[in-house]
Amino acid sequence: MRRVVVTGLGVISPSGNGPAELFDNLMAGKSGVCRISGSYAEKLSIKIAAEVHFKLSDYVSRKTTALDRTSQMALAAAAQAWADSGIALDDAGKVRAGVYLGTGMGGAQSLDEVTTQLYKEDKSRVSPLSIVKIMSNAPAAHISIGYGLMGPCLTYTTACSSSSVAIGEAFRQIKYGLCDVAVAGGTESIVNYVSMKCWESLGVVALEDPVDASTSCKPFSKNRTGFVLGEGAAVVVLEDLETARKRGAKIYCELSGYGSTADAYHITGPTIDGQERAMKLALDEAGINADSVDYINAHGTATAANDVVETKAIKKVFGDRAYRIPVSSTKSMHGHLIGAAGAVEFVISVLAIRNKAVPPTTNLSIPDPECDLDYVPNAGRTGLDIRSVMSNSFAFGGTNAVLIVREF
Amino acid sequence: MTTLERIEKLFVDKLELNRDLLTPQSTLESFGIDSLDKIEFLFALEDEFKIKIPERDVKIDTVQDVVDMVDRLVAEQSAAG
Repeated sequence: MRRVVVTGLGVISPSGNGPAELFDNLMAGKSGVCRISGSYAEKLSIKIAAEVHFKLSDYVSRKTTALDRTSQMALAAAAQAWADSGIALDDAGKVRAGVYLGTGMGGAQSLDEVTTQLYKEDKSRVSPLSIVKIMSNAPAAHISIGYGLMGPCLTYTTACSSSSVAIGEAFRQIKYGLCDVAVAGGTESIVNYVSMKCWESLGVVALEDPVDASTSCKPFSKNRTGFVLGEGAAVVVLEDLETARKRGAKIYCELSGYGSTADAYHITGPTIDGQERAMKLALDEAGINADSVDYINAHGTATAANDVVETKAIKKVFGDRAYRIPVSSTKSMHGHLIGAAGAVEFVISVLAIRNKAVPPTTNLSIPDPECDLDYVPNAGRTGLDIRSVMSNSFAFGGTNAVLIVREF
Repeated sequence: MTTLERIEKLFVDKLELNRDLLTPQSTLESFGIDSLDKIEFLFALEDEFKIKIPERDVKIDTVQDVVDMVDRLVAEQSAAG
C-alpha cells in the first residue's frame, strides 16, 4: 500500500488568502465575519457573512468571462498549491494526475445572477456561458485544463463534508495506485441573495451579535445560535510518497486516514453513531489509537444539534482522553464554507502540525454544560507537540468524513 | 458614442481587455480570445446594439471588422423592422 503526503497548500478564505495569512489570523483570533457588502442585504433578516477578497489576476493570468466565482476561487487556491508544491509533470506524469474537488451548491452565484435577469429584469435570454459557469464540475475542470491533468477529474457534492470527501477519495486513489498526484480540495460561493435567503430560512444560521457582528458564531457556547455562511476555496497537492521523494519535494505531512460513513437517519439531524464510526474508521486506517491524536479540528458548526452530538461522539471514541485533547472550531472565525469547509480546515490541520500550534475557538465565554471538552477557548496555543491531527466534517444528508494527518 | 467607442467599451467590460491595446486594426487573435469568449462577446454585441447576429461562426478578424458587421446589421435590421 502506498503512502500519501501533502506537498502543496492553497487557500482563499475569509480569514486570509494563502496558508500563512490564514493561520496567523486564526492564531490571533481575528474574525472574517462581517456585515454583507451587497445591496441585497437589506432584504435579509440576517445580514452577516464571511466574505473573501481576492483578484484572480493576482494568482493566474486568465480572463474571468466563463468563470463562476467558485471556479475563480478554486483556480486561485490551486495556483497557490501548485506553486507551493514546486511540482512539474511531464506527459506521463500528467496522465497519472487527477483533480478531486468538493462543492455544495456549485455555480450558485451565476444561477442567482441569471435568475435575477429572467425574473426580475424580465430579460428574454441569458448569457450563452451560463451553463458552463453554473455546472458543479466546472471548478475541477478548469484546474484540470489549466495544469493539463489527465487522470480522473471528479467533483463530490455532500453538502458540508464535500471537500473532506474529495480529499479523502483522492487519498484513496493515490493509496491504491490509481493515480500518483492529486489536486484536491473544495470551493463554495454562496454569499448571494438566493443562497443566503434559503439558508436563513432553514434556521441554522447565526443571529447577528448585537454588540459585535464579527463574534456572531459561537461554537460550543451556551448562547450559540448557528453558523455564519462563508465563501472560499482551499486546494492541496497530494502525492504518492515515492513520487514526492524522487523529486525532492517539501513534505508538509502524511495524510494517513479517512473515515466515510452515513448516518442513514435524517436529512439534517446528525447522529453520534455515524460520527463515531467515521472517526474510528479514520483512526483504524491511520493505524493509530485514540492516544495518538494531539488536536481535533472540529466540525463545530455552533448549531444546537451539532455541537452536543459531536462532543458526545468524540467522547465515545476517545474515552477519558477526550478531555485532554484540544478541540477547536475555527468556523468561529472563518465561517462555514459549506463545500469548501473541510478543505480549509484540512489546511489548518496541516498547519497545526507544521507550526506546533492550535488555533482557538473564539466567542466562547458562556460554557454549555453539555459541551465540556477543551475547546481552546478564545486564545490559540503555541509550542505544542502536535504530531497527529483529526479533522471532522459532518454534513446535511448524513455524510460524515474524517481525515487524519500526521507529522512526517 | 460612436459604434467603435461602444464596441471598445464592450471589449473592456466583457472581456477585461486593456483599452490601450484596442485600435481598429487590432486582431481579435492578438487579444487571446478563445471560442467561449467570442460567443459571450457576440451575445453582448446583440444586447448592446439590439441586433441579431445570424451566424455564430461569423468571420471577424479585427476590431474594424466588428464595427463594420455591427453597422451593417443595424442598418439591415432596423430597415427590416
